This record gives sequence, structure tokens and C-alpha cells, in this order.
Amino acid sequence: MSNNLVSKVLVLDDSQMHTEAIKAFCDNNNLIALKVRKNRLMSVLQSNIDLGAILYSENYGGSARENAEIALKIHTCRPELPIIIRRESQATLDDMPEIIRSAFCAAYVADDMNTLRRVIDEYIFSLVYPNALVRGISEITETVLANQFRELTISWSTPYIVRDRVIFGEVFSLIPLESNWCRGYMMLQTEEEPILDVLGRYSPSDVGTNFRAVNSLLGEITNLIWGSFKNRYIGDATSSSGNQIQVPLVVNHKHKYISFGTENPQLCFLYTLVDEHTGRTVKLYQRFIFNLNWSPEDFREITHDVEEFVDSGELELF
Amino acid sequence: MAKILVVDDSSTVRDEVAGFLKKSGLDVATAVDGKDGLSKIKGDPGIKLVLSDINMPNMDGLTMVEKIRGELGNSTVNIIMLTTESSPSMKERGKASGIKGWIVKPFKGDAVLESIKKLAA
Repeated sequence: MSNNLVSKVLVLDDSQMHTEAIKAFCDNNNLIALKVRKNRLMSVLQSNIDLGAILYSENYGGSARENAEIALKIHTCRPELPIIIRRESQATLDDMPEIIRSAFCAAYVADDMNTLRRVIDEYIFSLVYPNALVRGISEITETVLANQFRELTISWSTPYIVRDRVIFGEVFSLIPLESNWCRGYMMLQTEEEPILDVLGRYSPSDVGTNFRAVNSLLGEITNLIWGSFKNRYIGDATSSSGNQIQVPLVVNHKHKYISFGTENPQLCFLYTLVDEHTGRTVKLYQRFIFNLNWSPEDFREITHDVEEFVDSGELELF
Repeated sequence: MAKILVVDDSSTVRDEVAGFLKKSGLDVATAVDGKDGLSKIKGDPGIKLVLSDINMPNMDGLTMVEKIRGELGNSTVNIIMLTTESSPSMKERGKASGIKGWIVKPFKGDAVLESIKKLAA
């Protein structure tokens, strides 16, 4: 399993000639290129596939008018996703009518993929996440999940960067992370029914009451991960932010959308829990949103003296 | 029989810990936060051991311990913190308040059952 961060990009470009170049670019720049049929585009965008950006082409969709309409539709539907347009002649948006230009964040041409690299760095990989942090989060979370779900097999995929704000599943937890190098939230998202299923507590008539078991379990998993994160990366240090600035979080249930008041990309992990006997599967998305402070240069991993260390679950008597 | 009070805001943890202790033949009561814990200790002199989380709403576990020793003047009940926290400063604060021990979650009952039985006796 790699700790190199990746990001998914939706490629809307019909050019056969350019397809290979985009694929090579994505392979070399930690991007996972996804394609979608035109008739499924909007439904895919409305579902949660954790995108980092959209690579668009000025020839996509047919006529110039259709091309502009599709771009505007995407931008209206998912304004948080940067749309980067490949143009035939020049890497600029200046000659576009203002209303169309507003849909795009940048332009590039096929002959100069360095421009695209710079835009990707600016919009997706703009925050530096220390390897020790990324690796540690996966280890901590896997340990917590393995303890909580002893009968299930836990796996996790390569961590990735998203700009999406769409919420996965019906239930999520949030816990603030406060230190002198970060201020933000950890969010866990999952679906209710698969958890009840693996707990052996799913029955359609009891969902109205059993959902509390899911809430409580997700809360405790969140607490355990938070505790380990704090012990490993925060310790006794408190946030250096004297004025403790906060911004409102906005949740729109109808659109399954959550905003942390920032355009910053989010660090995302996906864990899959499988019951090998029944094939039942639970997906758990974990997102880190450092919306209030991100100073990775001050990040440090706390080392404990071996003598001080007591295994979790053991009693340390005073 | 001496009673053990399990204080945790998570029903998952309360159920798990209390269930394990009951299965092991111990008498167990539960509280949902420090405030509730304080009130249960005040009202039940049979409680000989408290297993408490730290991070809880309304009143945290360490404040509850300080109030048990201070406001209630109860210096005999044994208290063990059961928590995700393991910072030295928190442990020092706990020790200063007279706690007996510290368990870092997750709770592994078999590893600590004998000690718990002794402290609850």
C-alpha cells in the first residue's frame, strides 16, 4: 500500500490523440483518471466519487455552444471542483466571454503539460501532508477498526486528496483537531445499514431504534482515533492560536453537502471492512479538513520513552 | 457486594465494560458523564471502584475525580481512568487527585479483571 497521495480527476476530453498524453500525465502526477459517458455525466457528478478536479476540453460535447453549456452546468452543480480546460491554441481564458470564463479555473494546451502540472499543484496538491502523518493516520485507524470489529478484515486504499464536499452515507461524525500545527476537523462517514448488518442488528422493523447503536459506535471509533492521534501527534501542546477563530460549518441535508468555509482540499482515506464469511462490507470514509490552521513545518511525531509505555488495555497502577 | 461505577458518555463503551464486569460476577452501575457520576457516588456509598472516561460532556472525568475528593470528601473510593488520553500532564493531574490507575482504551477486560476485583473489594 502506498502512502503517496493521489487524487481522482474526471477527464472530459474526446481527443483520441490527447488521451494517451493525459493518461501518461496522470500516471506521472499521482492522478487517477476517470472517464464517464456523456449521458451519465450529471448523475456521476451528483454521486460521491471524491473528485479532485475535472480535466475538460474545448472540443468536448460537440459545438462550442454545447461545450459552454456543459461546462456551466458542471460548474453550477459542483462549484467546488476546479475545471481545467484544454484549449487548442492558447493557454488562457482571457478571450472567453465572462460568463463562460467563470466556469473554469485555468487553461492549458497539449503542447505544454507543465502548465497543467502547475494548476494541479495549485488546486489539488496545494497542502503538504507529512508522510509520517499520512502513514500514522492509516495505522491508527486500522488498529482502532481491527479492535472494534474483530471478526472483520480491514483494508485501506491509497490516501487521496479531494475537493468534493459531498457526504457519503447517512451518518457522519466530526471531532475538532487542535494543536500548534493544525486546527480543523476529522470527519468519519459511513452508511447505516451495512454497519447494522455486520453487527447482526439489521432488521427493517428495528431501524428506527437501532440507528442509535450506529451513532454510538461511530462516536466511539471517532473518539479512539482522536485519542491516538492526539497522543501521537499533539501531546500536551495546545493550539497556539490565541484568539481561537472559528468559522461556521454548513450542512445541507438535501444535497448531502458539507462546507467548512474553506476552499482547501481535504485529506481522505477509505477503509473497507469485510466479513469474509458472508461477504458483507462496510465502507468508512475518513476526511481531515484543516480549515483553521495548517502549519506542517511545525508537525512532529511524539516519541514516548519505552519505560513509560503501557499497552492499551493494560492497567497502569499508581 | 461492592459496586463498580462505569462512567462514560459512549453507550458502546458503557455496554461493553459494564457487560464484561457483570458477566464476571461483579455488581455494576453506570453513569453517562462526570456530573451523573458524581451524583451517583454521592447517593450510593456501596460504590467502591469507579472506572471513568476523561473526555465527556457536562463534566469531564478528572474534574469529577477532584470533586469526589474535594466536595464530597470521599477519599476511599478507588478510581481508575479508562480513556484514550495518555498525556503525562493528564496522568499527573489524575495522580494528584488520588486516582489509583490508568487504562488506555480500548478496554481489554481479561488483562485487568483481577486488579479490578481487588480494587473493588
